[in-house]
Amino acid sequence: MNFPTLAAKNLIRRRGRTVLTVFGVAIAISVLFSLLALNSGYEKELNKEVNSMGVHILAVPKGCPYEAASLIIHGGVIPKYLSALDLDNVTRIPDVELATPMLMHQFLKKDEETGKSTPHIIYGIKMDEMLKLKPWWKVEGRFFDDNETNVMLVGGDLAEKENLSVGQVLPVGPDKEDFTIVGILERTGDQDDQFHFFPLVEAQRVFGKEGKITTIAVKVRDVSRISAVSAEMEKVPDIQVVTMTQIMGTIMNLAGSAKSLLLTVIVIALIISAFGIINTLLMSVNERTREFGMMKAIGASGSDIGKMVLMETVFITISGGVIGTLAALVGSSLIESFVKGLLPYSPAGSLISFSPELVAFTLAFSLVLGLVCGIYPAFISSRLSPMEAIRGGLE
Amino acid sequence: MSNIVEAENLTKVYHRGREEIHALREVDFAVKKGEFVSIIGPSGSGKTALLNVLGCLDTPSGGSLRLNGIETSGLKEPDLVKLRRDNIGFVFQQFYLMPTLNARENIELPLLFSHKNGNMMKIDRILKMVGLADRGDHLPGQLSGGEMQRVAIGRALINDPKIILADEPTGNLDSATSQMIFELFEELNRQGITLVIVTHNMDLARKAHKMYTLRDGQIVGCEDMGQRSKMQ
Repeated sequence: MNFPTLAAKNLIRRRGRTVLTVFGVAIAISVLFSLLALNSGYEKELNKEVNSMGVHILAVPKGCPYEAASLIIHGGVIPKYLSALDLDNVTRIPDVELATPMLMHQFLKKDEETGKSTPHIIYGIKMDEMLKLKPWWKVEGRFFDDNETNVMLVGGDLAEKENLSVGQVLPVGPDKEDFTIVGILERTGDQDDQFHFFPLVEAQRVFGKEGKITTIAVKVRDVSRISAVSAEMEKVPDIQVVTMTQIMGTIMNLAGSAKSLLLTVIVIALIISAFGIINTLLMSVNERTREFGMMKAIGASGSDIGKMVLMETVFITISGGVIGTLAALVGSSLIESFVKGLLPYSPAGSLISFSPELVAFTLAFSLVLGLVCGIYPAFISSRLSPMEAIRGGLE
Repeated sequence: MSNIVEAENLTKVYHRGREEIHALREVDFAVKKGEFVSIIGPSGSGKTALLNVLGCLDTPSGGSLRLNGIETSGLKEPDLVKLRRDNIGFVFQQFYLMPTLNARENIELPLLFSHKNGNMMKIDRILKMVGLADRGDHLPGQLSGGEMQRVAIGRALINDPKIILADEPTGNLDSATSQMIFELFEELNRQGITLVIVTHNMDLARKAHKMYTLRDGQIVGCEDMGQRSKMQ
């Protein structure tokens, strides 16, 4: 027999209470683990999403707030425009590999059955330049040429949701002009899956925005030159420069407030759980004073008793930690959908990212929780004088 | 023969609120090595208090106590733990067995605290000595009262104590079982273990070499049972 066996057998003796305490710890640990997994996953996915745009810097009309830049990723419409002159100015900056103009516009598509209108986002793009930014684009059907008229590409998700197919004709714009779908983009896993893509000139014509663009997407020759190029771009009078790092920062800030709320909830849950553990242990220590007295009478030292109580606590929290972590792994999709609803912006991919380091951290945290919670009850029990312990039990 | 226990002017005062309870009043008490001593007396006479002080479970309020030649006053808790561990075996009225440990593990428990665990042969020998050779795997709940007290005696024996202190060891047992437990004590005494037993049971108390009577925290009588039997 050894101390761990003795501690385990003591816990088994109070099965119901042990199970409930372990359960409490498991819930707290499970939420903690999920949040940490979410934190790393969120950043990773956001990074992936921004990188998948193939764009290093965005130029938007001046006065447009940073937050609007995140709208651009999602296809939000900004009621201000840049001109061809701005594009020229940007293109002339050294180290700019490619600067492509884009026009974003929104139109409402009315569902014939329900009568409900849903907003659809249209990107006017230069296809040859776009394919340089996004060489991974693949299409079912074909890409359009920049000088074609009344043609469009559709994102993979959008096509599936709206049941669209190549060759289908959709009415677009104030005059309900017929546009033919010439290609459907294969899924990319980012926001491109949700958009319609028109040749830039066609988008400008249909919506009456001739010569106007909403965004200039810039690819830099060397990533290390991003800040130098954006500084140059700032000098162009009409435009405001947003780098992808800034966009990410803005989104992370927005998400940060939601996450700090979650974190507060978790910290409270952990504190409640810790007090629950301490209370359970103190109760158990009080009930067992006679037993501790007997142990001291047969040769146990105060530290032996303290060690045993501490070990029992650590068993509880480690079991809770293991169960909580497993539960979080199994229930991650549920947690993810819950959290996605809470966050102001969620990247398209899986938000929760589990790593062995994270599992190790959570289990180490359970251990520390056990040690912290066990110290006081262990101290109390180790200090009992054997006689007081035996008498205390009798009175 | 030298004394294993030597107590002089031993006092013990408990405080309950403002009230002072004098459990022991200047008790002089000595036990020789190999002796079998019983202590009797009415409830509240200080029997258990004396036994607890003798066993270093409780510290005396005054007087001196030497155990196996070691002066106990002024010893710190770690030294008291060692003194108890190396010299004393305790047997309680309520057995105090761990319900989740079987007989064998309960007997082994003190070895865990003295960091000498794993001596299976010794445990087997003790199980046999207390008549439980075939009951080692039973949990306390599966044993009778007499068997549980035998396990408790086995547990007291495992660290090879010089002296066994038993507080009402038959208080929870019927007379036939009590008789058997006392026979076991007598056998242990024959093997050289010193015994001090507190009991209410006069028949059993008289089996000791010496019987002390306690009243109001003082020793009011000491009968040498050996002499007595010679006289009869």
